[in-house]
Amino acid sequence: MSNSERAKKIMEGFKLNSMILRDGETGKTMWQGAEDLSFPGVEHEARVPKKILKCKSVSREINFASEEEMENFRLEQKVYFKGQCLEEWSFEFGFVMPNSVNTWQSMIEAAPESQMMPANVLTGNVIIETKFYDADLLVSTSRVRLFYV
Amino acid sequence: MGLLSILRKLKSAPDQEVRILLLGLDNAGKTTLLKQLASEDISHITPTQGFNIKSVQSQGFKLNVWDIGGQRKIRPYWRNYFENTDVLIYVIDSADRKRFEETGQELAELLDEEKLSGVPVLIFANKQDLLTAAPASEIAEGLNLHTIRDRVWQIQSCSALTGEGVQDGMNWVCKNVNAKKK
Repeated sequence: MSNSERAKKIMEGFKLNSMILRDGETGKTMWQGAEDLSFPGVEHEARVPKKILKCKSVSREINFASEEEMENFRLEQKVYFKGQCLEEWSFEFGFVMPNSVNTWQSMIEAAPESQMMPANVLTGNVIIETKFYDADLLVSTSRVRLFYV
Repeated sequence: MGLLSILRKLKSAPDQEVRILLLGLDNAGKTTLLKQLASEDISHITPTQGFNIKSVQSQGFKLNVWDIGGQRKIRPYWRNYFENTDVLIYVIDSADRKRFEETGQELAELLDEEKLSGVPVLIFANKQDLLTAAPASEIAEGLNLHTIRDRVWQIQSCSALTGEGVQDGMNWVCKNVNAKKK
């Protein structure tokens, strides 16, 4: 199988099932998106309760399924404010089992309240972008714009 | 006790990244345990068909906990996740006496793995909330844990459902995260 054929197969078998935002301290779900957020070319929107900005820590969970086995799966997640990257995480999963459903959850401590931008400044201006790769092959990109309501 | 507080305790670790591997047979309670650590709802947990990872970051320190599905068809893939493990947590359903032999066999094979050699192991004797649960001492004896000499180990009774014993186990993990025998 050529590289491009393999890429196509992995992409076809890849699905981002859901994204969840939780209060890191209480574990309570603040927002859950169940549409296929990996659907390409679309900017998804999430309406998140603004009290999430008061949380001392927030956890983000991504649930994804893969039909194909992957050798070196990794993810790059960036948070943009007005197009400028404020935060960046990467994570290396390594091996992904064929026909598996997996979750990745990352917990982040909030900035001190004094450094926190207010909800009315942030709303509509924050985008979480998640890129999934198998080694150097881009498998999927998800962009979610956040509104604080 | 959340994952963040575990991470804070770990800060003496010279390595900036800590990797904990959570294994055990299917239905042992690995995912429930992980969710309990993060205070999350544990009422709708389904069999893990792959992995669940929780990663926590604080001031440059990283804690990653890997929970890998325990079903028989998945177990051959466990070995793909052994590399760089700092602590192994092995979870046992203490009420599933019919499968004590099977779980003992799987644990013995893990302890024989070269990539896991010297890695500290915590055994959670889970589901102590059930009346039929075997006590940790009985499980330790049945699994011949006292014959383990090539690493530090501990057995801790717990209930991932109620949270009892979980913190004690994680305290042990924090203390032994650097205890890997080279």
